[in-house]
Amino acid sequence: MLDELIHILAATIISWVLFVTVDILFQLPRTGGVSGASAIARDIRDGGGSIHGGYMMGNIVCSPDASAGTLLAACGLLVAGIPGGLAAAVLVFIGNRICHDPGYAGTTGAVLATFVIYGFMQAGFAASDFIAGTVLAILTIQGLSHVHASALLARLWGWRT
Amino acid sequence: MIALPLIGIIAVFAAVRVVAERKTGRKLPYLNVMNFAIAGSLVLLLDHPLSLVAAAAYFVGSTLESNAIASTYAKGGGGGR
Repeated sequence: MLDELIHILAATIISWVLFVTVDILFQLPRTGGVSGASAIARDIRDGGGSIHGGYMMGNIVCSPDASAGTLLAACGLLVAGIPGGLAAAVLVFIGNRICHDPGYAGTTGAVLATFVIYGFMQAGFAASDFIAGTVLAILTIQGLSHVHASALLARLWGWRT
Repeated sequence: MIALPLIGIIAVFAAVRVVAERKTGRKLPYLNVMNFAIAGSLVLLLDHPLSLVAAAAYFVGSTLESNAIASTYAKGGGGGR
């Protein structure tokens, strides 16, 4: 039980670094991809947060991004191994198109996560550790403190630009 | 197997925050966390090859709904404030 908890915490850190890196490389904090994402960013800024972190959080809400890709890749790996992870990438790609998102952050995140998680599964991790880990990781960004999360994301975005 | 109970607790926590938050624009990120947790728990609960499709369909559908709510909110419609 303690082993599983440690694995979940490690998976949280791994998936957090993975999807935040991919999202920032794909410039999610630059601007709101759709009008709804910009509205969410404005509300986060009005609540004391940072606008660029808010844009990224709004974009995560409005279309499947790399974090969704990581979650679904972990689900795919649990169900059917590597082919399942790649099937998840296809589903994320379709989801992006449905949500009028022209970007490839979600698809890239899902493909990358498939191989990263598969690697860690060879080292004794379970796919379910990564499912719980990704949910915990998204909780730290979207669900605890919008002010602190958006400030952190804006700082990371500042290093990128 | 603590992954499933952990995800369940996160889903309930996020749902409570959705209800407690007053601004629509700031409800949606909490809702996003809840959707992640539900999509993950679907796969952990359903031991079937098609559970991935169920999770992806749920997740993409709920994201599209959030997108629609957010864009309606951006236009000042829907009365949600």
